[in-house]
Amino acid sequence: MASGYPHDRIEVTREPIPDVQIARGVRGEANGAVATFDGCVRNHSHGRSTLYLEYEAYETMALAKMREIAAHLHSHFAIDRVAIVHRLGRLQIGESSVFIAVSAAHRAAAFDACRYAIDTLKKTVPIWKKEFFADGAVWADGELPPVPAETPTRKPAS
Amino acid sequence: MRIKVLYFGRLKELAGCSEESVEVRDGSLIEDVFRTCSTARPELLQFRASLVAARNCEFAAWDMPLRAGDEVGFLPPVSGG
Repeated sequence: MASGYPHDRIEVTREPIPDVQIARGVRGEANGAVATFDGCVRNHSHGRSTLYLEYEAYETMALAKMREIAAHLHSHFAIDRVAIVHRLGRLQIGESSVFIAVSAAHRAAAFDACRYAIDTLKKTVPIWKKEFFADGAVWADGELPPVPAETPTRKPAS
Repeated sequence: MRIKVLYFGRLKELAGCSEESVEVRDGSLIEDVFRTCSTARPELLQFRASLVAARNCEFAAWDMPLRAGDEVGFLPPVSGG
């Protein structure tokens, strides 16, 4: 899909995330700062030792929602380029599941936008994580995204 | 009319498939599609309160009317990142 920001990089991938390449890719000559967020697989969850994780996505919608986040960053923060890359499939301990990079003329906007991007991604992007342990597997507790309100006029009168 | 239904996460495991095509009456709402899908699998109903729905890749209210060929996703709480 065409984006108004040709330097942005919004992707899902089943390969290891090329974090260094992504971070360098958002850097332009007018930028004084690149803020990055690297979400990685930790070895424990709720007191249990994690073996590995599996991520799945509603891919077309996930990409649409990630593009919406990038668009919001451009309209609300003094930033230049955005990269949001989420990995899918099986991930081992220590691997990156999501990598976000934001460039800006000054650091405050880069930090703020990067923080907004990961916080919003975790609430609105349709991606799910399953945690595998030695003695079983569970879908991670997640957040229910906000949805449009129901239309009162469509309800039968009570 | 035919609607494409997508399941994700624990709902996909419960439904036993990631997608299916369902036939519903013209003018049906997302709620009606969920009820139709739950007819063969009543266990889906217990998740109704902890799901959100999407129509054509956009979050949608349960009373959103549908058109033939729409894609409806039933989404458990998201846990990316």
